[in-house]
Amino acid sequence: MHSRPGLIGAIAAVLWFGASGVASAQHWPTEPVTFAGGRLLVGGDASVTYGSDDPGWFTYTDYETSAIRRVRAGVTVEARASDRVSFLTEIRAETGVGVTPYAWYVRISPLAGRLLDIQAGRIPPVFGAFTRRAYPQDNPLIGSPQTYQYLTSVRPDAVPATADDLLRMKGRGWLVRYPVGDATAHNGVATVAAERWDTGVQVRIGPPVFEAALAYTVGSLSDPRVTDNNGGGQFAGRVAWRPGPALTLGVSAARGTFVADDVREARPDAPSGRDTQQALGVDAEVSWGRWLARGEYVANSWRVPPLDAPRIVDPLTSHAGYVEARYRLHPRLYAAIRGDLMRFTTIAGSAGAETWEAGVTRVEYGVGITLRRGLLLKTSVLSHWRDGGRVTTDHLGAVQLLFWF
Amino acid sequence: MPMIRRRWPATVRAAASAAVVAAALSPAGRPLAAGADGVIKGTVDIRRSQQTTEARPASAGLGAAPRRPVEFRPAVVYLDTAPGGAFELPEPGRAAMDQRDQAFVPHVLAITVGTTVDFPNSDLTFHNVFSLSRTRTFDLGRYSRGRSKSVRFDRPGVVQVFCDIHSHMSAYILVFAHRYFAVTDKGGAFAIPGIPPGSYTLAVWHEGEVRDTRAVTIPESGGTIETSFALR
Repeated sequence: MHSRPGLIGAIAAVLWFGASGVASAQHWPTEPVTFAGGRLLVGGDASVTYGSDDPGWFTYTDYETSAIRRVRAGVTVEARASDRVSFLTEIRAETGVGVTPYAWYVRISPLAGRLLDIQAGRIPPVFGAFTRRAYPQDNPLIGSPQTYQYLTSVRPDAVPATADDLLRMKGRGWLVRYPVGDATAHNGVATVAAERWDTGVQVRIGPPVFEAALAYTVGSLSDPRVTDNNGGGQFAGRVAWRPGPALTLGVSAARGTFVADDVREARPDAPSGRDTQQALGVDAEVSWGRWLARGEYVANSWRVPPLDAPRIVDPLTSHAGYVEARYRLHPRLYAAIRGDLMRFTTIAGSAGAETWEAGVTRVEYGVGITLRRGLLLKTSVLSHWRDGGRVTTDHLGAVQLLFWF
Repeated sequence: MPMIRRRWPATVRAAASAAVVAAALSPAGRPLAAGADGVIKGTVDIRRSQQTTEARPASAGLGAAPRRPVEFRPAVVYLDTAPGGAFELPEPGRAAMDQRDQAFVPHVLAITVGTTVDFPNSDLTFHNVFSLSRTRTFDLGRYSRGRSKSVRFDRPGVVQVFCDIHSHMSAYILVFAHRYFAVTDKGGAFAIPGIPPGSYTLAVWHEGEVRDTRAVTIPESGGTIETSFALR
């Protein structure tokens, strides 16, 4: 899984491009590096995050990687073939993941006013607000909202045969094993994946006051993919309205096939049509003066095939929301806080009805210090409370150093 | 007595450009000579193309960012060593740096110490002007179209200005302790009038660096000295 030479190479590339900017301007880079008369733009970022040991796996993004213990670097390249066509790619290297082409797509802007954009390839998520600002410099804190990071006990490639199978995995999303489908232990998924992007095509119209985007992709919110694994795609859309510069309101929805073909091959008797994920989200951002506040709510449900008794009849639903605020105390210093809840619906197991996953609450607060333009030091405290699992309370500290150009 | 004897290697000179400007313009000048004032005029040919500051390539965008007009990036020509009496500045003035089409206009502002600069927002979006420069550190917070906030600059030096929301927005404010400076126009022309007779060092600053220097002499009879620079 680890690709150290690749990771080191990617970090070196970020630093090299950054250094190029330094050399050409004789000062710290404040602009992206450009070539070919501005037709080729290169930007990058690198971050080192180190935090407390997390025995409750609250901050893990997969079985191996904690969001508060990782080194990450990314290089983004935009090649403008013409005023209306450009190619974008982002190569990202990360401890535990290795080097991955995070994004690669073509962007076509057929209208002169840029009121219409079409993007095709491995594209940014349309759903929600956080996924498009998941870059360390756009996140005032170190952790991500739980909707976008917390590992639930749901897997696309393996499903529980009974409700009891599911309830046994409650609060253990970092390593889940089910009898149907892929029998190997693997981490569950977050409600909305922020660490990987899906593949497909999207259309956006109408910024800046009104913006609507629609995408069709081969994966799903929880399981973005490069290639299809279940013969069904996903439609996702978002409408955003900016009545003024201080306020942005957004509504998102998505529905797609979630369960992989492996499951159907393992249990051909499974009822059809019970393999989807659907979600509805609302988000808001308000800012004024030194304040910035954001909030988001996502209602999500997975349907898995009802197989053996006690059967999982109802959708596995989660409700999650967060509110965060940032206040700039000084040109070099800000403070931020985020309150974050995830709650789950009940299912009937042999021992009675209970929530199918353990509810979890996180409060994160911290400060960011701008050491110089493009160099940010963040530190935060993350406190977690969970209704189940081996570890129910966990208080963590983390520090992150971030360079970007 | 000259305040700055710069015989540094170019790299050192460039890296220290902000300090150079600040030091060169601190309030201590050579004795004022008797005679007629002169004018230094000429052109600065900036070979490096003037181009719009590009936004970082953002792969997370759902579409392309609006295209912005080309940003004019002038040079500033100034006397590295100012004559005595140069620091008797008139009443502190006001200047403006607009925020328009997601750019600071003008991109370079040259002012004297004590000047208050207004930062109006002419865009439909919020802007958040700030600077981390040692000469003047400030953060004006977010404000909308039609509103303006101001900052007074009381120390000489170079202030680099940014927008906290739009990372591609940047500008420079050069704060001088004397009045012997000029910002080049779109044709690269400049003129510094009212210079007392004497020998001076003329410096050209462009985009954060002192790019060239040259010795010039205003004779006792005054007159116009023409000199031109080519920046590569």
